[in-house]
Amino acid sequence: MSKFMVIGERIHCISPAMRQAFADRNPDPILLRAKEQLDAGADYLDLNIGPAERDGEELMQWGVKLLQENFNNVPLALDTANMKAIEAGIKVYNREKGKPIVNSADAGDRIGYLDLAAANDAMCIALCSKEGVPANNDERMEYCQELLERGMEHGMEPTDILFDPLFLVIKGMQDKQCDVLEAIQMITDMGLLTTGGLSNVSNGAPKHIRPLLDCAMLAMAMQCGFSSAIVNPCDKRLMETITACDIIKNNILYADSVLEF
Amino acid sequence: MPYKKTEQKFNGKIGVCEIGAGDAAISIGGEKTLPFLGGEGFKTAVGIAITDSPEDWEGCFAAVYGDDMKDPAAFAKAAVEKSGADFVLVKLASADPNGADNSVENCVATAAAVEAAVNVPVVIEGCKNAEKDAKLLEAVAKTLEGKNVVLFSAVEDNYKTIGAAGGMAYGQKVSAESAVDINLAKQLNILLTQLGVKPQDIVMDVGSAAAGYGFEYVASTMDRIRLAGLGQNDDSLQMPIMTDVSNDSWGVKEAVFTEAEAPEWGSQENRGIGMEIATASACVIGGSNAIIVRHPESAKTIKSMVAGLLG
Repeated sequence: MSKFMVIGERIHCISPAMRQAFADRNPDPILLRAKEQLDAGADYLDLNIGPAERDGEELMQWGVKLLQENFNNVPLALDTANMKAIEAGIKVYNREKGKPIVNSADAGDRIGYLDLAAANDAMCIALCSKEGVPANNDERMEYCQELLERGMEHGMEPTDILFDPLFLVIKGMQDKQCDVLEAIQMITDMGLLTTGGLSNVSNGAPKHIRPLLDCAMLAMAMQCGFSSAIVNPCDKRLMETITACDIIKNNILYADSVLEF
Repeated sequence: MPYKKTEQKFNGKIGVCEIGAGDAAISIGGEKTLPFLGGEGFKTAVGIAITDSPEDWEGCFAAVYGDDMKDPAAFAKAAVEKSGADFVLVKLASADPNGADNSVENCVATAAAVEAAVNVPVVIEGCKNAEKDAKLLEAVAKTLEGKNVVLFSAVEDNYKTIGAAGGMAYGQKVSAESAVDINLAKQLNILLTQLGVKPQDIVMDVGSAAAGYGFEYVASTMDRIRLAGLGQNDDSLQMPIMTDVSNDSWGVKEAVFTEAEAPEWGSQENRGIGMEIATASACVIGGSNAIIVRHPESAKTIKSMVAGLLG
């Protein structure tokens, strides 16, 4: 079994500091956040430049080069609503440490992102949704199937698609949490890989409760086969939970100093 | 139908460790696949063991080496010549405080004499008393600075001294001994690395057992270590493995019982060699990058086995 893959979410234009840094092409705040996440154990970094309608292609290329040149060709997830920007980013992307990840396709309007990933030999995050949140697991699995077929029609390896079951917020959709876990199990049973924005689970909960909910959900999801997540790697408790779960699943070998390595 | 060799691809790679200095230097490790299933890194090095306490060894060795056994330098030279080994391991067993309790100075002099007598890399083994070995291997590291010897081995109770002296101050190689405990193998590598020893200066002494005496546990340990290093790309387990099978092989009844005690078993020497070859070959197939034996015939057989497997 391979170990759980952590995609660091903190270079995101929703953060005012990042938005400003993108606008000014100011490397320092971005490099700082990249370093923090890599030091904390991130495997991939998500590079979210927002809608970037105006200068997306140039901005994405700038960001990809900035991160890869400073961090030994760190593998990246390219995240924007501007498809041309993703394609431009892949053009300058170095694959030494792993394929680029296109973030993201869905079974609705964004299905073209899968075609883009296939055409560029990239991986792709595929949201199991069409319009808004899937009502139940029948819908989730139907979308999963559609996305899988679309990717394979375009020549993708099934394991190059990371299926996102869509985590739901506990405050409001508490009764749906086990559905998500069940979906992860079903997708895993098909031999496919999964990912997702885990922190959605605890959205709106008090600050001291959020890590507890995130960690518990992550551990339960990993038992169902969950294979990667888009998270804040600087959340120490979460990263320690991942390590502990990887040990229990025999994905990594135990040693007394395992947390310090 | 023609045979098609399929090679399993892994993300990880076993590190390369260079031992010895100048023309005598050799390197071990560097493979990207499980043992002998790929194209590189499998020139398994074969070492020959000698001791500063020859009276502890079976009588057949006196017949092989004669008076050379009494002088470690002559012993080492003869052992390398007779076996064709790639490196030599000297056991400083006399240092044992519960035995002869030979002084650190005397033992260091022995190690230095051996090093000067041969032109192959040298591995220095202590007496397996953690406290004494810390002092002994530290002094050996200092005296043999520049010779790039392997200090065999650091354990949990003395890794700080041996790691700091060998791996850092005097630029030697440090072996980390974990006695067939896979989690400890990883732990010691982490501890040595945290101390400041570079991964390429560490080899793993993961231990062994004589074939037939719990060897399956050794086999599964080696497998798991290699799969972690190669398959899970766990860089705390990507150091080459060095295994000394000589004590285990020559310590079981098949090798120890004399011909008078067990006449129906035949030649004691042949039995010991047989135990040693069976154990050493299993370790080589399990992933040892350097294997140490006691009898020159065992060394020759393992060398020819490795050459035969490489084709």
